[in-house]
Amino acid sequence: MIRIGFRLALAYRSNILITCVTLVAQVFLLRMIWTSVYGARPAAGLPLEALLAYLTLANLQAFATHTIVVSTAHHRIRVGTVFFDLARPVGYLRQLASFQVGNTLGGLCLLAPVVPVVLLVGSITAPADGPGYLLTLVLGYVIAVELALLISLAGFWMTETSAVALFHRLVSQFFAGTMVPLTYFPGFLGVLAEALPFKYLGYVPAAVYVGQISDVSGAVAIAVAWVVGLAGLLVLTWSRARRRVVIQGG
Amino acid sequence: MIRVDGLTKVFRRPRTFSGPLGTLRTLVTRQYEEKSAVAGVTFEVGEGEVIGYLGPNGAGKSTTIKILTGILTPTSGTVEVNGLVPWRDRSANARNVGVVFGQRSQLWWDLPLIESLRLVGSLYDVPAARFATSLKKLRDLLGLDDFLDTPVRQLSLGQRMRGDLAAAVLYEPPLLYLDEPTVGLDVLAKEAVREFIVETNRTGRTTVVLTTHDLADVEALCRRIILIDHGRVLFDGAIDALVDQPRRLVVLLESGPGQVRGVSRDADGRYVFDIHDDLPGLIASIAAEHTIRDLSIEEPDLESVIKGIYAR
Repeated sequence: MIRIGFRLALAYRSNILITCVTLVAQVFLLRMIWTSVYGARPAAGLPLEALLAYLTLANLQAFATHTIVVSTAHHRIRVGTVFFDLARPVGYLRQLASFQVGNTLGGLCLLAPVVPVVLLVGSITAPADGPGYLLTLVLGYVIAVELALLISLAGFWMTETSAVALFHRLVSQFFAGTMVPLTYFPGFLGVLAEALPFKYLGYVPAAVYVGQISDVSGAVAIAVAWVVGLAGLLVLTWSRARRRVVIQGG
Repeated sequence: MIRVDGLTKVFRRPRTFSGPLGTLRTLVTRQYEEKSAVAGVTFEVGEGEVIGYLGPNGAGKSTTIKILTGILTPTSGTVEVNGLVPWRDRSANARNVGVVFGQRSQLWWDLPLIESLRLVGSLYDVPAARFATSLKKLRDLLGLDDFLDTPVRQLSLGQRMRGDLAAAVLYEPPLLYLDEPTVGLDVLAKEAVREFIVETNRTGRTTVVLTTHDLADVEALCRRIILIDHGRVLFDGAIDALVDQPRRLVVLLESGPGQVRGVSRDADGRYVFDIHDDLPGLIASIAAEHTIRDLSIEEPDLESVIKGIYAR
């Protein structure tokens, strides 16, 4: 299943090219806009260079950890090929997770060539805490996959899930801080962002990298708690979902 | 190999409403409709048998197969497949069965065929050596070599079906469920699929449960059929017994009375006689009293027999 996910990520050459171009363009555009904003009125908080490095990293991470398992799972439920997934001796969740991990690995391979370009455009320097960054990044990725699997299971209750998938995508991107760093979120929005698990997908690793978070122990402890809690929720949800199985189309 | 006793499956879904605000009412309703897909099915299949599991669309065939694979849990009844209860020992049961659906494919659309076969090998823990010999055999038997490295989306339907058959038997399951494996195929491709089923059954003693609407499949492959409709078994037995009926003489007369030689005129104005031995004598005796406009002789065939059973 890992292999399938990997091969699918690399199946279409035009797709690979466009993804790379999009990533470089997005980082470049963010740089232009924020430089202009800061040029007009120096903002409080992060210095410009740190902000640019943060945004570049957060977006690079978002591309690298982007999950496609939700749309794949929903498509297979819609057309009924989920039958075969359920008929396998290997558990459904394990198949989905392997598929996503393989797909991410494939995605990393195609992103690899543009990473130097992005780092250059985003003027990224060496990480403030390399091991801490990797640790929080991996934990964030596990949380991202768990959340995606949870949304995938929604398909067993709802036939049409594109709205839920869109909601999940927007919320996770916004609260991960890929567009605006969480430090700039006002009042209750900041509290909410702080409480939700999405910040581990973007903000936390990037902030560790640029040195805004210097002690990672607290963040790691809470991230691990999320990983365990979401795993429990997944098992529970799946045991309920499989009782609802109805294969569509005869 | 398979033992099914008193199997029922009732689906429960929210009632849908039509008319103004219908969608909204459907969304909030607490009323449910119950639909019984399988209503007390009992049968047994022995090891190495090839049985035709037949019935009109919506008869409950696919639901039965989904229960036999352990994906659906029945509402009541007992099922044993190769000594296992499918939905309780789902994983162990999965290793015992291969499934082909003519209407949907287990192959990955965007990837070369070989990738899907490799996936099946790894999901079913087929050791590398056994995978290689199994694949070699299937390449010869199904002629996979021409398109093993072609993305599935570029395969013809016949090629795709051969790929699906290969994926279903790659781990050599003792039991195969084939749901319309010849649907949409041309004559030659159908023939290839049938030959493959015969070969698999012969060499591996593989038990086959075949669902199809093409009775030529049944005549070529099965000695026994189970007919179901509305979730119930209508017939279970040998095909030979089913078609072992007298030939019939169908006569149209210029002007016919209500009855001729004890046979009533049917709705189409035809008189249908069972032919026992003396066909010329039967025709002569009718012709002596009436003017025959047309006559024909009907051989008993599976299709008309099955139609007759459904119509009951």
